[in-house]
Amino acid sequence: MLEARGVTVRFGGLVAVNALDLDVPDRGIFALVGPNGAGKTTLINALSRVCPVAGGTVRLGDVDVLSLPPHAAVSAGIARSFQRAELFPSLTVLENLLVGLHSTMQTGLSGALMTPASRTEEQAARARAERVLRDLDLWEVRNAAPADMPYGHQKLLDVARALVSEPALLLLDEPFAGLTEAEAPRLLACIRAAGERCAVLMIEHHFELLEGIAQRMTVMDFGQKVSEGTPASMRTDPEVIRCYLGTGRHRTAAASAC
Amino acid sequence: MQRRLVIAILVACAVLPIAFQALGQRQVYWLFVISEFYVFAIVAISLDLLMGRSGQISLGQSGFVALGAYTAAILNQRFNVDLPLGMLAGAATAAVASLVLGFPATRLRGHYLGIVTLGFGIAIDQIALKWDALTGGDQGIHLHRPALFGVDAGTPVRMYYVALVALVVAVLLVRGLTQTRIGRAFAAIKDSEVAAAAMGVPVARTKVLAFIVSAFLAGAAGGIYAFLAGFVAPEDFGIESSLLFFAMVVIGGMGSIPGAIGGAVVVDAVKNAAATVSGLSLALLGGMIVLVVLFFPGGLKGLLRTRRIRRERRPAPKGVVRQDA
Amino acid sequence: MTQFLLQIALAGLAQGSLFALTALGLVMIYNASSVVNFAHGAMGMAATYVAYVLIARFEVPFALAFAAALVAAFVLGAVVQAVFLARLRNAPLLSQVVVTLGLFMLLEGLMGIAFGYNPRPMRESIAIAPVILGDLVLRPQDVLQLALLLILGVALAAFFAATKVGLGMRAITENTYAARLMGIPVGRLLAIAWGTGVALSAVAAVLAAPTTSVTPNMMDTIVVYGFVAAIVGGFGSMAGALVGGLILGVVVNLIDAFLAPELAMSIVFGLLLLVLYVRPDGLFGRAQVQKV
Repeated sequence: MLEARGVTVRFGGLVAVNALDLDVPDRGIFALVGPNGAGKTTLINALSRVCPVAGGTVRLGDVDVLSLPPHAAVSAGIARSFQRAELFPSLTVLENLLVGLHSTMQTGLSGALMTPASRTEEQAARARAERVLRDLDLWEVRNAAPADMPYGHQKLLDVARALVSEPALLLLDEPFAGLTEAEAPRLLACIRAAGERCAVLMIEHHFELLEGIAQRMTVMDFGQKVSEGTPASMRTDPEVIRCYLGTGRHRTAAASAC
Repeated sequence: MQRRLVIAILVACAVLPIAFQALGQRQVYWLFVISEFYVFAIVAISLDLLMGRSGQISLGQSGFVALGAYTAAILNQRFNVDLPLGMLAGAATAAVASLVLGFPATRLRGHYLGIVTLGFGIAIDQIALKWDALTGGDQGIHLHRPALFGVDAGTPVRMYYVALVALVVAVLLVRGLTQTRIGRAFAAIKDSEVAAAAMGVPVARTKVLAFIVSAFLAGAAGGIYAFLAGFVAPEDFGIESSLLFFAMVVIGGMGSIPGAIGGAVVVDAVKNAAATVSGLSLALLGGMIVLVVLFFPGGLKGLLRTRRIRRERRPAPKGVVRQDA
Repeated sequence: MTQFLLQIALAGLAQGSLFALTALGLVMIYNASSVVNFAHGAMGMAATYVAYVLIARFEVPFALAFAAALVAAFVLGAVVQAVFLARLRNAPLLSQVVVTLGLFMLLEGLMGIAFGYNPRPMRESIAIAPVILGDLVLRPQDVLQLALLLILGVALAAFFAATKVGLGMRAITENTYAARLMGIPVGRLLAIAWGTGVALSAVAAVLAAPTTSVTPNMMDTIVVYGFVAAIVGGFGSMAGALVGGLILGVVVNLIDAFLAPELAMSIVFGLLLLVLYVRPDGLFGRAQVQKV
């Protein structure tokens, strides 16, 4: 159970996320929606400790998330994907996934000596990564370089890399953006399955898609929560209509830069 | 790389001294040149691990080699310490120095590190020259005849095998490292620090670790070099030699062990062939670095790989039915 | 003693002005393109050979040869940006830095082949006797260096504050992509930034030449101190680079006088590590925020 209270993120004078409260239960799929610059990505960045937070508290179970260093978010159970797939181009597809398992493993420099302990651990990790690759139909390309794959596959891999550590909270930043008709169902099935095991908080614009899978939607605008409810109730919500139809206000791109 | 090619190269290296024996006179000199090359290749691999694999520039790699060499030489001269222990002591000294240097350096943005390591290389050189009570100043230090676990290793042929075995061990260790957790973390911080941190890789600590491992290897190479040459002096470890190691890694293709060794072959060859005209080898290597970065980002390794792919992808000529495949 | 210290400080400021000029150019290039230019000193050195050849072979007056060297440096900087770095715009930053190192080796090697490594003498730029001011001796060369640094410093400040080109460069520093969308000719401005930056290095090199003599590695020490000055100044702040250079000049002269001149650079780097340990962004730098 994630409890965020009064989360505030500032960039200079700009308040990107303003005293936001958010509760995410242990299981299920939850969506963050809102116009560009509403602070959705910034919120994900704050929860995953990528960007510094000016105020508020975030608890995941017993853990005070905001007191963790950036790399400790995964061990605390928070994994994430990126809006523009941030893969590791110099590693293969399989190795990218194995980096996702970094904090679940112990092997240090002894890996160079091929000690029995490190070998066992490596094999177990590979088996785990390979299962995820098969689920996502990326098995065939496991030894390819990520850059050689179509963009949709890169997005899939980005999600897979977050999934592989079996987090308690999975943060997905527009996972479907850039996917083709053929690729979307695979990812959808995968996210559905993840929602059975853990909490998935995803940014998504595609309303029809969310209606099918999301238990709850949180609408953000100008860094604040403006509305919250089931996708069905959101359809008629005046705030949602206003945000989605847009009222022609100009926004700075800076808010989505972090 | 194909297993058979690797075995062939290893066998060739192993029988080389026997071939030289048959040729006679100049063998001692050439054996030394090639042994020296093996040691340089270890340094190239160490720098490739730091620069090619983890994306951190070092322009002071010869500073670590110097620390390793001087540590081994001083211990040998004063306490009659032998090759294995001397080498390990040299490696440890270099690793400790890298910790002192790497800790503040990794808190820095981008390419400050290049400048700090450059300064380190210069400083080690200056200190070796100045602190003559310890280092012998510009007179250097002569070592005792090396021994390995009580067995005399002082002949050129024996030292040749010591250097060859050291190189093979270094290759295996670095290969093992790059194929496991820490090696992947090195690559991850090179590619994207933000994504690496989001995957649970502690960025600053991993950078320092890359620095330490690289310095340890370079220091070990320095220790072996001291015993191989039987003599250490400051001029072996100037900023020029740091640039040579840098050139080996770039020309060979960053992030690849065979690349680093291939780069070492090219650089060593250019250095020896162009030694007569001052400035020529520097200009050639500089020009090669520029060309590699602009046109062959994969270096030697990338060049071979693209050619192989092209050959495989080339369609069969018209009217000919391919029988193979 | 006070008089001795004052004399050291004066010599330090004069020498520091060379570090500051080099550092200003480095920072200018860094701000525009995020590249630490390791060929900076070598490019200034190459331009100095233009002045040297003009003076030694063709007996051109110093001021004219100086101007020619600056033009050559500007062209060299602009060409290097347009030919080499523009191609690498989308390559990793490491590749861009590596290319400047390659250029450093290439330029030093080429000048070594063409002119050899024997130092070639260069006359003092101003042939008048030192001025005695109370107990202090003022070398005209020192005065020239400091004066040029101050003039160029003010000119650069005015350039960035008041001209369209300067404003455009600041926009590129903030956000290259947005600057391009705003119709700012990014390529041309980058070339100007590189040209001007290298010209600043050439000013330092030509002024240093009477002391260091003209050799392929004449700028090696100065440019390393230039790097240090830029880091101390926060690598990004022109004012920081200027002040950092002057402070460093005094520090180096104090080391020369009271400690060991052969260890000057080692001590400077030790101090640099201490400074960075306490303030990772330099004495005058501001912390940088990472972007995703």
